[in-house]
Amino acid sequence: MSKTALFLVCLSLAAAVSLPAQEPGKVAYETYQLPNGLTVVLAEHHTAQVVAVNLWYDVGSRNEQRGRSGFAHLFEHLMFQGSAHVAKGEFFQLIERAGGSLNGQTEDDITRYFEVVPSNRVNLALWLEADRMQSLAVTDANFENQRAAVKEERRLRIDNQPYQAALLDGLYGVYDSTNCFPYAHSTIGSMEDLDSASTADVQAFFHLYYAPNNARLTVVGDFKPAEIKALIAQYFGGIPRVDAPPPVVCTAKFNPGADVRRVTDKLANLPATLQFYRIPAHDHADTPALALLEIILGQGESSRLNVKLAREAQAAVSTQAGVFGTRRGPGVFATIAVANQGISADSLNTLLNAEVARIGSEGVTDAELTKAKNVLTASVISDRQRALDIAEALQHAATFHGSLEAINTDLTRYLAVTVDDIKRVAQAYLRPDNALILLVSPGGAS
Amino acid sequence: MNRRILSLLLAGIPAALSAQGVPPTPPPAGAVVPAVFPPFQEATLPNGLRLVLVERHDQPVLSVTLSLSAGQILDPAGKDGLADMVAGLLTKGAGNHTANQVAEAIEGVGGSLNASAGQDWLSIQADGLSSHALLFFELLADAVIRPTFAAEELDLLRRQELTSLQAEQTQPDAIAERFFYKGIYGQHPYGRHPSPESVAKITREDLQAFHDARFRPSGALLVLAGDVTLADATKLATQAFGSWTGKPTVVPPAPAPPARLKTEILLVHRPSSVQSTILVGNTTFPAADTNYFAVAVANRVLGGGADSRLFRILREEKGWTYGAYSSVGRPRGIGTFESSTEVRTEVTDSALKEMLNQLRRMGAQPVPAAELDGAKGALVGSFPLTVQTANQVAGAVARVKLLGLPADYLKTYRTRLAAESPARVLAVSKAMIRPNASLIVVVGDGAAIYDKLKTIAPIKIVTPEGTPLTEAQLTAKTDLNLDLGQLADREDTLTVMANGKPVGRQITGLSKSEDGYQYRENTEIQNLVKQTTSVTFGADGGMRKLTQDGTIQGQAIKAALTYGPGRVQGFASLTTTKGPQTTVIDTIVTPEVLDENVLQGLLPAFRLKANASWTLRVFSATENRIRTETLKVAGVEKVALAGGEVEAFRAICSSDNQAVTYFVTTASPHRVIKVAIANTPLEFVSNK
Repeated sequence: MSKTALFLVCLSLAAAVSLPAQEPGKVAYETYQLPNGLTVVLAEHHTAQVVAVNLWYDVGSRNEQRGRSGFAHLFEHLMFQGSAHVAKGEFFQLIERAGGSLNGQTEDDITRYFEVVPSNRVNLALWLEADRMQSLAVTDANFENQRAAVKEERRLRIDNQPYQAALLDGLYGVYDSTNCFPYAHSTIGSMEDLDSASTADVQAFFHLYYAPNNARLTVVGDFKPAEIKALIAQYFGGIPRVDAPPPVVCTAKFNPGADVRRVTDKLANLPATLQFYRIPAHDHADTPALALLEIILGQGESSRLNVKLAREAQAAVSTQAGVFGTRRGPGVFATIAVANQGISADSLNTLLNAEVARIGSEGVTDAELTKAKNVLTASVISDRQRALDIAEALQHAATFHGSLEAINTDLTRYLAVTVDDIKRVAQAYLRPDNALILLVSPGGAS
Repeated sequence: MNRRILSLLLAGIPAALSAQGVPPTPPPAGAVVPAVFPPFQEATLPNGLRLVLVERHDQPVLSVTLSLSAGQILDPAGKDGLADMVAGLLTKGAGNHTANQVAEAIEGVGGSLNASAGQDWLSIQADGLSSHALLFFELLADAVIRPTFAAEELDLLRRQELTSLQAEQTQPDAIAERFFYKGIYGQHPYGRHPSPESVAKITREDLQAFHDARFRPSGALLVLAGDVTLADATKLATQAFGSWTGKPTVVPPAPAPPARLKTEILLVHRPSSVQSTILVGNTTFPAADTNYFAVAVANRVLGGGADSRLFRILREEKGWTYGAYSSVGRPRGIGTFESSTEVRTEVTDSALKEMLNQLRRMGAQPVPAAELDGAKGALVGSFPLTVQTANQVAGAVARVKLLGLPADYLKTYRTRLAAESPARVLAVSKAMIRPNASLIVVVGDGAAIYDKLKTIAPIKIVTPEGTPLTEAQLTAKTDLNLDLGQLADREDTLTVMANGKPVGRQITGLSKSEDGYQYRENTEIQNLVKQTTSVTFGADGGMRKLTQDGTIQGQAIKAALTYGPGRVQGFASLTTTKGPQTTVIDTIVTPEVLDENVLQGLLPAFRLKANASWTLRVFSATENRIRTETLKVAGVEKVALAGGEVEAFRAICSSDNQAVTYFVTTASPHRVIKVAIANTPLEFVSNK
């Protein structure tokens, strides 16, 4: 659903890395391809009378061309505007009246659509997804209407919220637009680019990316495999494949030198400091150590930033740290603090720098590392309870690790991390010459 | 075939042509799986603690939740917010552990510990991997039986609560709800809400007393969900809570909400609003009332989702709003039926009328069968989605117990909804959705919408702070249109008189700088008052800074404020024999807000004339709030000064708790020559 389905999910630094488990939390699945190239993944899960239908298209803002930023997300909105057999507005109505829930979300690397329905309505969700994959109604009227909605969404979520502009500037400012345009522009896009898009552009985009051979359909829940396979073959089997889309090209430059910028934010009441560090792609060997460091620095009451900056020094009203989003290209590790009254962005930044530097110089304790592993393990296991969470974990494994089986093996990589690994990755990536720092002051010209 | 061409061809072509592939019509629903509600087990400990277990071993996870009859309705008078503060502090130190140690213990095993107060109940939950069950029970028992309520944690939490109350004052939907519940519930405790004053008054002794009275095992509910057996659960619960004893004190029944016989509008005047927030509703019935099912279906038809009437009509057809919804409030006691929307100012009355039409229609015409089926389908169908995890199942079971619903409630929930007929939905709607006996709260720009709203129902006006306003005050200028040319550099000495005798003096001064003005006041009254004040304001009349220093009856006072864009920040402190008490100030203010100390200095710049009046919004550092004051010119009279009689405007500035009369010369440049404070013997009279 366009209104709630937000690319902003990617901005949530609290979002847990969706990691698969070994024992317990093991997921049994099967996978196959239709002749038209659609990858299908099925996992039975009978603890509730519910099925999740989850479709990932291999397209995100990283696939956008210069001058067309915001396109992938704008397109996601259009996916709810009707198709050959589904009138405008009917997609929501059919799912709602069946008691189901639905959403669509655009990220840097992928676009996801899902429905969670009572098990006797899984056929409806599959039918709706197939109809729009085959025959989306891309009309001028729908396009204009949704472009206006996306602009309204940008105003609501970014232009009218404190710190959001700085957050986007930082997250997409660490890589340079010349060498790495795919990760150097935001998912929501610019107003200018949204204004200059045409209906023909949208149709071309649909043709290029919304094809069975560029998608993975994952169905998890309370179903009978034979029935589901028959329905999938019937609904999706006749949709033709298309040529593979062009590759995504990005050459990332690490450690380019310290970069500290001062910005004002008229929506903010308090100063803030936002630090963005360049890190490698999600499947890199250093990702587990960085993910555990995220927990040690920034998650929970006992995290370092909360204890040191918020509770002890009372210099910050809130703190966050963590890996931003999940990418097949270069990523971002951010540390963020909003100042308490009477604390300047500069002095807050000094405190934040000291905490980050302390990881590199002194490392973390065994207790901290154990805590982080426990938090991660608990979250992985907890994410094996709901059909939709399992479907997401399967999609994640296949897309970002190139292997569905990663859902059952990846946790071992995290449990093998040592305190020396944490110290090493902090030294390698969380260093001043690898950071973009934004010091935000309240006020400024409107 | 090129897929783009194919899709263009297919769009709009009747479905029959695409027989192969996606069928033209949505597939019919499969057979409904019999509604099996996941089983649960129960036990009661000898001390009266009830235990519910939803046992499930597919993943090694466990959640443990304890609910106590210690909700917000039990806040003592004047201490609203106490239950919230008690809940907030349960996890901030207990037994032999500090707040940091508790956080390290629970997070160290990858778990979480959270507590919160609702209207009727206070709940605390521990969850994580089931191998740490023992730790969960130890932490819960400490938090519930042996909380520390440490002074420094109380201070920290109080600051956070005050900040969030201030933030609420900027949110029109929060303002609307507060007035709505206060209006429909009257003296019933569901109508109460914390205020900065009540939160400021809460002491550690209050927390302890509330805890002693309410935190007892008898009647409390312990709910476990996940990977544990009943035998182990009972053993763990007995170890942790077995020695805990007692019953909560008996609470007298709440007074009934006031009977409402006609519909009234409460207009909350918020001059800067570009939107109006509308809330319409009435009280209904206690949670266990069997009318609930018919009302739930009616609510789904009217406003429960994006395919309901309010959303379809107000948003999709009329384009007046981003969303319009209705909802059923279901606490343990008397509940509510509410409809709400936010619309742009110009269509406020049209939207309200349409909402009332739709509410009346629910009680006037039966819902067509297809629409009723859609509504029931949504409610019945979504139920399995709400009970997927053991934790969700346990939450549903707990709600049944806490709301006092019958034991078979969850098992029969879907069939009872499905059995509701158009006739019954009509009859129950007529009784429980009462557009002719509702309270309507509208938060918006009163000057723009009052005239249109008053034709809909009888109307009262208040400020967001709750001060009543008259219709005249609505249209009174908030744009002060000051004549700053009247402000010249000067100094005046006033004698302070009490019952006609001189008791002190006040020296006032105004000086102009390049970019604004400074007003100074230096007051001495015998040995009772010694105070200096300085307020600076800009060339546009906007407040910049306040500094104040002195003693009043032996108590040192001090205040420093900075008015920034949209905000005033600083502090006010009062030093008594017990030591300094400092209030940190950080409040949202609009540009027209004046500092309470500036009026005497700024009055000469008002365009005074007979019968002129203004509504002033005045920030008081000592009260840490914005007051609404009315300034009115009551007449022109001669004032006797040492040098003879001088003609002056008599201007009265009054608020809810104070009235001051100022005499300002009619001759330019205006100056304040006399000030009288109502209900005191004090007068300040100029020496010339």
